[in-house]
Amino acid sequence: MSPLTLAIPSKGRLMQASEALLTKAGFAIERLGAARGYRGRLSGLDGVEVAFLSASEIARNLKDGKIDLGITGEDVLREALAPDDPSTEVLARLGFGPANVVVAVPQCWLDVAAMGDLDEVSESFYERHGRRLRIATKYPNLTRRFFAAKGVTGYRIVDSAGATEGAPAAGTAEAIVDITTTGATLAANHLRILDDGLILESSAVLAGRSAIASDPRAVLLASRVKAR
Amino acid sequence: MPGKSKPEREALEGQNAAIMAVFERAGFDHIAPDIIQPADIFLERSGEDIRARTFVFTDPSGAELCLRPDLTVPACRYHLSHAKNPGAEARYCYLGPAFRFPDERLSPQEFAQAGLEWFAAPDPVAAEARILKLTIAALEAAGLTRFKVTLGDLGLFAALLEDTDMPERWRRRLRHHFWRPHAFRDLLEGFTAGRAAKRSSISDIVDRIGGGAERIVEETLSTRNIPLVGGRDIGEIAGRLAGKAADRHETPLSKVKAEALNAYLAIAGEAANTGEALAGIAGGKRFAGARDYYARRLFEMEELGLNPRRFRFAATFGRDLEYYTGFVFQIEAETAHGPVSVAGGGRYDDLLADMGAPAKIPAVGCAIHTERLKAVLA
Repeated sequence: MSPLTLAIPSKGRLMQASEALLTKAGFAIERLGAARGYRGRLSGLDGVEVAFLSASEIARNLKDGKIDLGITGEDVLREALAPDDPSTEVLARLGFGPANVVVAVPQCWLDVAAMGDLDEVSESFYERHGRRLRIATKYPNLTRRFFAAKGVTGYRIVDSAGATEGAPAAGTAEAIVDITTTGATLAANHLRILDDGLILESSAVLAGRSAIASDPRAVLLASRVKAR
Repeated sequence: MPGKSKPEREALEGQNAAIMAVFERAGFDHIAPDIIQPADIFLERSGEDIRARTFVFTDPSGAELCLRPDLTVPACRYHLSHAKNPGAEARYCYLGPAFRFPDERLSPQEFAQAGLEWFAAPDPVAAEARILKLTIAALEAAGLTRFKVTLGDLGLFAALLEDTDMPERWRRRLRHHFWRPHAFRDLLEGFTAGRAAKRSSISDIVDRIGGGAERIVEETLSTRNIPLVGGRDIGEIAGRLAGKAADRHETPLSKVKAEALNAYLAIAGEAANTGEALAGIAGGKRFAGARDYYARRLFEMEELGLNPRRFRFAATFGRDLEYYTGFVFQIEAETAHGPVSVAGGGRYDDLLADMGAPAKIPAVGCAIHTERLKAVLA
C-alpha cells in the first residue's frame, strides 16, 4: 500500500489548532529531519506521511492530486475548486478557524445596503468616472461566482497583494471581498458588510481527494477527528 | 488540441478565404488589427465576466496587456488611430485569431474570427440589412446550407421605455436590468404595486433624507467620524439616497403601462410577421418611430434578396450582449446535435465614443467563429 500524504498548515493559528486536534484524536506528529522540517509522519496511523504547506497550497495541491489529504480553510478550498469539481471532498468539518468571506463597502456609502445597490452603483460609477468599480480580493473565483449569482457585472477584480481591507482607504479599490471573524478589522478600516454580502461561512476542514476518500486510513482519520 | 495538421490548416484556410473574398468584394478594407491589446479598453468596457475569460498579462513596465478576446474593439482602435477623420465613413473586414479561456468543452481557447465593421454608414438601416446579407453570403460561400437566423432590436425596447411615463431613475434601473429577466420582473412589479421596499441597514437614513440630502450625508459622516473613501463623492451618495426617499412617495406605474412593457417582451415569432404584434403595443411616438425603422429594415432585407419569413424575431434577444444598442442578430448552424452559434453581430453606436472618439460614431458589424463553422461543416 503506497503511503498517503496528509498536509497540514505550516504556520499560524491553523497549524497549532491542527496539531492539537490530531493529538487529541490520538495521533502524534513526528517531524523528520531538522526540528522544523517540512515532512513528518503520523504515529498511530501507519502509511500516512505528513507535509507542512501553506493553507492555500494545500487546497491547490489537493486539486492537482499532489497530496491525498489536507487540513485547510474551507475558504481557500472553495476558492481553488470549481463548484462542480469532483476531485476533492470535505471529509470532516473541524470546528476551528471560523471566518466569513464577505463583501464590504466603505461606511461612507450610506446609500448602499445590499448587492443590488452595489450593482446600480457600479453602473453609475462607470458613467461618472469612466472606469469600473474595483473590488480588491484574494478570492477572485469566489467573488466572480457570488457576484454573478447576484447579477452584479460592472466591476473589476484587483488582486490585493497585501492587506485587502486597506485598499479602499489607499485608493487602490472601491470595495473588497475578504475574510473576517469579528468584523473589528473591517470597522477599523471604515468598512461595512453588505446586508446580503455573506459569501461563505468558513471553518477549517479535513479534505481529501475523492479517489482515496474510502481508503481505510482516510476513513479512520476522518472518524477520529470528528469524534474527538 | 496541439495545433493543426497540414490538411486541417488548409481546409480552414480554404474556408476562410471564401469568407474573406465575399467581404472584400463588397468593398470592405482587409485590415490586420494588433493581437496584443491594452487590457483596460476591454476590461473597463466589459466588466469582470469578460475579464475572467481574457488572457491578461503585464509588460516589464507593469502595463496590463491582453490577447484580444474579440476583434471588434481592436478594429475600433485601429480606426481611431489610422483614420484622418474618424467620423467619416469607413468599412473594414478582418480575419485573425482571438483568445478566450474556454467556457465550454467544445470551444478552443484560440480561434480564428472573421468579421466586418462598418462605421458612419450614410444609410444606417440599409447598412444593417447589408451586414446581415454579407454574413449570410459568407457563411454560404463557406458551404453552410442549413442554419437559422434570430433577430432582435434593442432600439424598440429603449423607445418603448422612453415613451412610458415614469421617473427617469426608474427607467435607468429597468434599462439596466433589461437583460436579467427575473430582476426586471421584480423591479417592474415593485414600481407597479407601489409597495414599500423591505427595511434594510440604510432605511433609517432614507427616512430622514427629505430635502438637503448632501447636508445630511455630510453631517452623518462627520458625527460618526467616517472618512470619505472609495472614490464616490458626497453628491453621488446623496443623489441615490434622495432617489430612494423619493421612490417612497412616487405614484406607482400604471398597470396598463407595465403590461405594455411585458407584452412587448413576450413578442417572439417569424420576423416578417411581427408587425401586427408590434402594432398592438401601446407605446408612444418614439416606439412608433422604432417600429417604422424595424419595418424599413425588413424592407431593405427583402431588397437584398433575403427572406425575413425565414428569420425569427425575439424581443428579448440581445439581452445578454453588452455593447449592442439596436439591431442584433445571431446565426446558428443546424446540426445533428442541435443548433451551434457560428456568427452574430449588430449595431453598437456607443463603443467608439466610449473609446475616445470625439463624437458618437454609428457602427454596425458582424463576427464569424470560423472554427466552429469548420467543425459544423466537417
